[in-house]
Amino acid sequence: MAGLRFGAAAIWFVAGAAWAQIDPQQQADSRTVLGGGNEYLSAGADAIRAGLYEEGIRLTRLGLERSSKNSERAAALSNLCAAHAAKGETDLAIETCSESIELNAQNWRAYSNRSYAYYLKGMYTKASADLEAAATFSPNARQVQQIRGMINERNLRPSVIVEEHQ
Amino acid sequence: MRIALAMALAALLAAPPGAHAARRSVKVDPVGAWSCVIYGHPAFGDERMLFHFAADGTTQLAREVEQKISAWTPLSRWTADDGELTFSDPHTGRQYRADLRRATLGGSWRTVILVGGWWCSELDEAAVPAVEELEPLAVMPPLIPSVTSTPQYPLQAIRDAKQGRAVTCFFVDASGAVVQPELIELSDEVFRAPILAALARSRYVGWDDASVRRPGCRSYIFKLDSLSAAVEGPQ
Repeated sequence: MAGLRFGAAAIWFVAGAAWAQIDPQQQADSRTVLGGGNEYLSAGADAIRAGLYEEGIRLTRLGLERSSKNSERAAALSNLCAAHAAKGETDLAIETCSESIELNAQNWRAYSNRSYAYYLKGMYTKASADLEAAATFSPNARQVQQIRGMINERNLRPSVIVEEHQ
Repeated sequence: MRIALAMALAALLAAPPGAHAARRSVKVDPVGAWSCVIYGHPAFGDERMLFHFAADGTTQLAREVEQKISAWTPLSRWTADDGELTFSDPHTGRQYRADLRRATLGGSWRTVILVGGWWCSELDEAAVPAVEELEPLAVMPPLIPSVTSTPQYPLQAIRDAKQGRAVTCFFVDASGAVVQPELIELSDEVFRAPILAALARSRYVGWDDASVRRPGCRSYIFKLDSLSAAVEGPQ
């Protein structure tokens, strides 16, 4: 049951994160601006979204070799981070998310992805800190709310005190 | 905004008295005797009392003392105005209020520094003891829980990090089942369903007289504690 929940959460998370880098509003611009090697990044994002993490990672790395634009590289690294997190490679995920944040400190998706990786490692304080950073840039993002809920589920112990009056 | 507010106020003032009265229709006639649970006093705990509201406006109280019912003692006169019953106990300084639009008699009490609630079931007039001295507790025996079910903490409330508080009052029938539960206080709707489910699973020790229903109340505190320090992995 826990495995199933984990799997479902991971699929949702990666799909959201990968899609978010190529949202429909920006797609037309991307097609114009991105040329040459950046088709690898788009194909990599598609593969990650489809759950083909190995293929997505391979294509994204190829795209990164051909990309020099900081914002593009930051988005690609964030996607790599999501793919590694989905595979349970949390240390690699954290490393690539951190690289992404170094290139673009305002990319909420990278914070959100790294938060998820910390969550998977059971490092809830760091996960919460990254989630707060993500929320600063995108407070209403569905992914932010969902990860916050997942952290709360793990990190909060509920109790109910009943007092009888008679 | 101001114009809209003024118009709403004017409409309210112009409304015929009947319309206002209809919105606040009274359901409970307080005249008679009531078996009540009084809760919320931190020093003395809960108390079971009998209240008697006479048609002439006088109010009397009898309380449980060492498994007996004390003699009646007078309280202030009661008044019912605009669906609200008020009276006071000069001995304890409690000011009692009740919303007569509820299904039964009950409400809040307050002193200068304390607040609490009360909840009653109506007594058959014939069963009311004309106590001059201590009488047996026949009309107000204690409720004895046999199954106390604890509400489940709603998963959505955990995800949203919601804590909360609720007070529910109800009747217990002769079979020991909880009937007609009402949420007197509820900090968030998310807690309503698990409380009602837990009450439905709860039972008290029953009694013989099927015509008697007894009042009871429960408070709930929904609390979340952080486990960070205990479960945090290596940093």
